[in-house]
Amino acid sequence: MSRSWRRSDPARRVLLATIVWTLARKILLHDRIKFTVAAAGVSISVMLVLVQIGLYLGFMQNASNLIDHATADVWVTGEGSENFDFSAPIDDRSYYKVASTPGVAHAERMLLAFGQFRLADGGTQGVQVVGIERGGRLLRPWNVVAGDPTRIHEPGAIMVDVSEAEKLKVDRVGERREIFGARAEIVGLTRGIRSFTTSPFVWTDLDSARAYALYPADRFNYVMVSAGPGVDPDTLARRLSALPGLDAYTGPTMSARARHYWSSRTGVGAGFFTTAALGVIVGLVVVGQILYNGTLEHLKEYGTLKAMGARDGAIMRVIVYQALISAVVGMVLGGALALAAKAAMAGANLNVLLTRDLVLATAVLTAVMCCLASLLSVVKVLRLDPASVFKG
Amino acid sequence: MTQPTPIASLAGVTKIYGAGETQVNALEDADLSVYPGEILLIEGPSGSGKTTLISILGLLLRPTRGDVFIRGQRVTGLPQRELPPIRAGTFGFIFQGFNLFPALTAEENVAIAIKMKDPKARNADAEARRLLVAVGLENRMHHKPADLSGGQKQRVAIARALGGNPPIIIGDEPTAALDTKTALGVMALLRDLASVQGRAVVVVTHDPRLERFADRVARVEDGRVVAVHTIDHVDRQGDVPVPAPGIHPSARHVARVDPPTAA
Repeated sequence: MSRSWRRSDPARRVLLATIVWTLARKILLHDRIKFTVAAAGVSISVMLVLVQIGLYLGFMQNASNLIDHATADVWVTGEGSENFDFSAPIDDRSYYKVASTPGVAHAERMLLAFGQFRLADGGTQGVQVVGIERGGRLLRPWNVVAGDPTRIHEPGAIMVDVSEAEKLKVDRVGERREIFGARAEIVGLTRGIRSFTTSPFVWTDLDSARAYALYPADRFNYVMVSAGPGVDPDTLARRLSALPGLDAYTGPTMSARARHYWSSRTGVGAGFFTTAALGVIVGLVVVGQILYNGTLEHLKEYGTLKAMGARDGAIMRVIVYQALISAVVGMVLGGALALAAKAAMAGANLNVLLTRDLVLATAVLTAVMCCLASLLSVVKVLRLDPASVFKG
Repeated sequence: MTQPTPIASLAGVTKIYGAGETQVNALEDADLSVYPGEILLIEGPSGSGKTTLISILGLLLRPTRGDVFIRGQRVTGLPQRELPPIRAGTFGFIFQGFNLFPALTAEENVAIAIKMKDPKARNADAEARRLLVAVGLENRMHHKPADLSGGQKQRVAIARALGGNPPIIIGDEPTAALDTKTALGVMALLRDLASVQGRAVVVVTHDPRLERFADRVARVEDGRVVAVHTIDHVDRQGDVPVPAPGIHPSARHVARVDPPTAA
């Protein structure tokens, strides 16, 4: 008798896992309707999390789009500017101070300001004018799908994004419009360069940008800096911040500040994450309810197995495996739904950014959610007195 | 005739629930032994302590006082975590409500119990099939409980109880949900398990008709085992009207242990 009293060994655990897996799968799939409801609950939860966080990431990507595609090591702007899209103007004296600071290998001016784009039908549309220097190399329009980007420095030449064509009521290179009364000719089209503010980006030369944004001839609002060889960008940023009237940030810091501003100051982040959290709660409740009901229905059978010598751990795993099966099925279906939603939203110019990290994090979250949902059932089974099989 | 050795026994077992004014003495100073090859009926009115008695005997419940012995070893003081493997190797349980997994076939219900008892059990599926053949369900192995009659479900439950070859089968009103003919068939099957295979079968029942299958009857009243009497072997001769399907007739001549004396 004593031999059979010994604790389990690794081989026994593997065999037990296989047995428990089989039992969990059969119990879960036996009632197809309940399983469908559980899978639907998890799927909706997964889809909500993926789409909401994906939308958030998409918006945040837009918020730091220009910074992330620039190759500047350090960004310099007017002191106290909190928002990348509404930065304080600085002048050419600041530019020369920056350019002459030790450690700066190269500096370029950039203007980001709002203008009014005159539409073909006489109406207007607010735009964000992006002015870049002739000969500049730290920030250029990317994903050019039509036209000639080298013409952008011609007087009155602009480039816009095809996703904004409907908003700007333009559909081809060569069309002419006005921005704040100044002539503008479309010389190229990009794809996928969208702003967070929903005002379309209009790329142009720095001089044209000043005209479009009504800026004086020596004003702009960013200096993009390349650090010299061996110069630490953080150190350089601190050095540049010491210049009067200027703040300087490394590229990654500038990017994070741009996203953080819109995320935290506007409640955009809270909105998306609240909806995602609601999705998780929906999943928790649905899976928890289904598992708990299933556990109650099979309490006598679980009690019988316990009475016959099955350990608590084995019975507990039957419940947890059911939760994990629900998680896997829900993740697959929810992922498919999220992809469908992404495709549908792309038609409405909404960018659902489903990154690998987001998918992995959601998979882990779903597994944790389903395991948490099984907690009540697990507690019920662990507290199940095997002697209860004789009651009723 | 030598005195047979009990396979399980209770000695001075008392079980008290609650305390103070709400205290209930469910079982008081109970002595009872179970012998290989016998059917022991536990009879008594509702609330008399029958279920508490078999729960303690089956190591599902700890007594407040007294001792439980399995194969002569005292198990009362063992840690809780050591009891499941002892139960697995000693007891099979059958219930009034069958307690079968509706999602599993008859074969799977039996096999899963064998595997959960001992994951390393070799040929558990073959063993499950063999047990189902032994209880006369060779044509119902792949049916789920919903497709089986009450008697067939109880036979599956008996096959499940036999998984792992436990020497003691404990039944809680195993025939209460069955019609008379089916109930007698199930009891005949249990009779053969005792007579042919030498297992001890302990059955709680309210039904005096089952006494014809028993070797002994223990009477429980108000938490006390007030009487244990032996059924006259001669009286029972020829009084088992329903043959047990599945137990091969040639196996019926296997000698039983000598009729035990009352504990």
